[in-house]
Amino acid sequence: MTPEIAEVKQFVIKQMPFSQLPEAASHFFATHLEVVYLTQQNQHQWLRSTHLFLYLVRSGSYDLLSASGEVITRLAEGDYFGYPSLLTGEAIKNQLSVTTPGLVYVLTQSNFDFLRREYKLFEQHFVKAHANRLLSSHYKQNRDNWSEQKISDVMSRGAVALTPDATIVDAAKTMSQYGVSSIIVSENEQLLGVVTDRDLRNRVLAQERDPHAPLSSIMTQSPKYVFEHNRVFSALHLMLKHNIHHLPVLNEHHVPLGMLTSTDLLRQQKSDPVQLIGNIYKAQSVAQLKLLAAEIPLLLKSFAYNVEDTSLIGKLLSGLSDALTARLIAIYQQQNGQAPCVFSWICFGSQAREEQTLHSDQDNGLLLPNEVTQEQRTYFAHMSEFVCEQLALCGIKRCPGNIMASNEACRGTAEQWLARFENWIYAPTPKAMLNCKIYFDLRFIEGSSALYGEFTSKLAKLKKDDLFFAAMATDINTNSVPLGLFQQLKLEKDQQHHKFLDLKRRGVVIINDLVRLYALKAQIYKANTLERLEALLSCDLLSKNDVYDLKDCWRYLTQLRLNHQLEHDHLPENCINPADLTSLEKHQLKEAFYLIKQAQQACAFKFARGSL
Amino acid sequence: MFVKRWWQKVYKQFQLKQYEFEALNYLVVDIELTGLDVKQSEIVSIAWLAIEAGRIDLHSAQYHVHKDVKALEQSPIYHGIDESMLKDGASLEHIMCNLSQALDKKVLVCHSALDWPFIKQASAMTSISVEPLCMVDTMAIEKKRLLSCGQPIAGDSLTLASCRKRYQLPDYQTHHALTDALATAELLLAQVNAMNAGKRIKLADLM
Repeated sequence: MTPEIAEVKQFVIKQMPFSQLPEAASHFFATHLEVVYLTQQNQHQWLRSTHLFLYLVRSGSYDLLSASGEVITRLAEGDYFGYPSLLTGEAIKNQLSVTTPGLVYVLTQSNFDFLRREYKLFEQHFVKAHANRLLSSHYKQNRDNWSEQKISDVMSRGAVALTPDATIVDAAKTMSQYGVSSIIVSENEQLLGVVTDRDLRNRVLAQERDPHAPLSSIMTQSPKYVFEHNRVFSALHLMLKHNIHHLPVLNEHHVPLGMLTSTDLLRQQKSDPVQLIGNIYKAQSVAQLKLLAAEIPLLLKSFAYNVEDTSLIGKLLSGLSDALTARLIAIYQQQNGQAPCVFSWICFGSQAREEQTLHSDQDNGLLLPNEVTQEQRTYFAHMSEFVCEQLALCGIKRCPGNIMASNEACRGTAEQWLARFENWIYAPTPKAMLNCKIYFDLRFIEGSSALYGEFTSKLAKLKKDDLFFAAMATDINTNSVPLGLFQQLKLEKDQQHHKFLDLKRRGVVIINDLVRLYALKAQIYKANTLERLEALLSCDLLSKNDVYDLKDCWRYLTQLRLNHQLEHDHLPENCINPADLTSLEKHQLKEAFYLIKQAQQACAFKFARGSL
Repeated sequence: MFVKRWWQKVYKQFQLKQYEFEALNYLVVDIELTGLDVKQSEIVSIAWLAIEAGRIDLHSAQYHVHKDVKALEQSPIYHGIDESMLKDGASLEHIMCNLSQALDKKVLVCHSALDWPFIKQASAMTSISVEPLCMVDTMAIEKKRLLSCGQPIAGDSLTLASCRKRYQLPDYQTHHALTDALATAELLLAQVNAMNAGKRIKLADLM
């Protein structure tokens, strides 16, 4: 038997995927590899299609270049290369350029294949690494998680529909013929209403209505609906929020495709984070709400491990905050009387972007009609104080910057709010830029949606000049990704000298800022970063590839942040200790940061004409 | 007759030295000893691995502990091998038999010229001949390189660890025969690279 060399084994066993494989795998690798000293002079001997090898960098640093000579990635200690061709059998197109010569471990194809056969995880690691190279692979949807599925996948096809002039009897007959509990009322393929068997009971039998009357007399007019490409999660949220059991499903052209029922969803449901939202909407007292809110962290933990689309986690948490807020407003009105006039409760920042994490704090405000009186303002001051206070008790911390409806500056009429926005746009000081970053991500939560709608359309019409965009682009470039000169991760230190990487401030935030700028330029009034990116696909500000890259980076960083947030509580919020990362994760992280850096530079060039 | 054989030998060595570095096969050997005196000290452990076509083949690695060591004395401080570990070792005959096979048609590589006298002595004791093509000493290569750069040679500047440091090779624990053999092999590759600067290295350049 070949003896293993302690130094080699100790190195190998620390690398992914060996760190997760039985020791025998590291032993096999350590006793079957060859060591070469890779230099600029001899590099042409390696990475050749006639001799395929797996390479693991032990020391030195190298650039992996594409056939056209562009740097794909920088390779350093612990990085693998050569595996794509081993997996696919395709000819090698990439080349090496040696920055610092050093030692590289080399494994032959037959030994690589042996490890692939023996250890499923080994194979998975490289298949995944291959798929992840440059993060450009398009996002695979996880079909296993029910609430992430698209509605079109779970709904029963074929809309059972009648025209509004059909009689109630026709409807009852059609429903029993198809064995359904509801019917869509439509004309010229446009949705007009919904009739359910509960309507037949409550609106026909109980009221002794003529069964030959037209359906239009009993239908629920302009009902809530969902689109086929929405996620099941959104449908459930809507059903629970409005306590309805039937949702018509429409295609992009608003043509009804079928009906989604709560039973359809129950069939899909295996675990239930959404149930909690439902319970929150039903809660009758503040005490009940607090009990439910206390379940959130635990629930998130069990849920997060089963979800592949991490944007859903942010959505879920924001959904929970929305529900808590809406319920608190309702409870306040029950106890202190209805609001004296219309109002819109709005949220800003991460809650608006639906990117909340367990550590996010409150960012909210109140929009009041222009004719509001001083007395009415007092009512809202009390209501806001109550809601913000109770939210804090439910675990959503008070905003350190005091961006809360309980602060008088954040309770204003549409005119007052517009004046504030205008101020920031025309006098783009650093402070104003900071405000823009928070307040331009806004979303309606509770109250009058008409009031909110009117306000946002006015906000959209505020003229934004080049100077404003230049200021934003400059501001974005004052922040930088933690990459050093040679694409190495730059770590920060806290007072206790723990080294860490701030994934939020130095990653996710930059993407959010970039996307916000492009969205404002393209007049897209959505708050969610992924939705903004989706919308940016249809205008020519950014190329398709750039949009996909930003999306993938955003997803990757969010996922990483979330995984580490759940596992390690001792680090500063949103930060990770790079020592906890596997070599693959480090590798991907560098790639993600590199892409962000490029997008930042492109943005400066486009909007600030490179003047930094 | 004698002259002819002598001439053949010299000519062969001359030919050998014209070979390019990567055209030959090497066996890198490292020995842990009880002391430095050839007359009294004994081999405690020995390890080797082969370099073929410029690649260090870890699958060729062998490591043996010599079970018949008479007196370890103070040497375990360095190599960590104690009496109990000796028991599981192999006889000198067994070791030399394997080494003789492994060295066939290869160039012997050691860090320091001290190892060769011990191998020759063991060969004489067991009557098993070991015939490397020739010998390369990484310590001598390093000394030559340092002197040609006009650098002073301090007491410890030629140890395996300090030599490796000069080429930014990773830090290894020293004084385990197998690790030292790999460390020497890597050092040789780094030295060859540092010398070659565009031109092909011949064996002669290493001697």
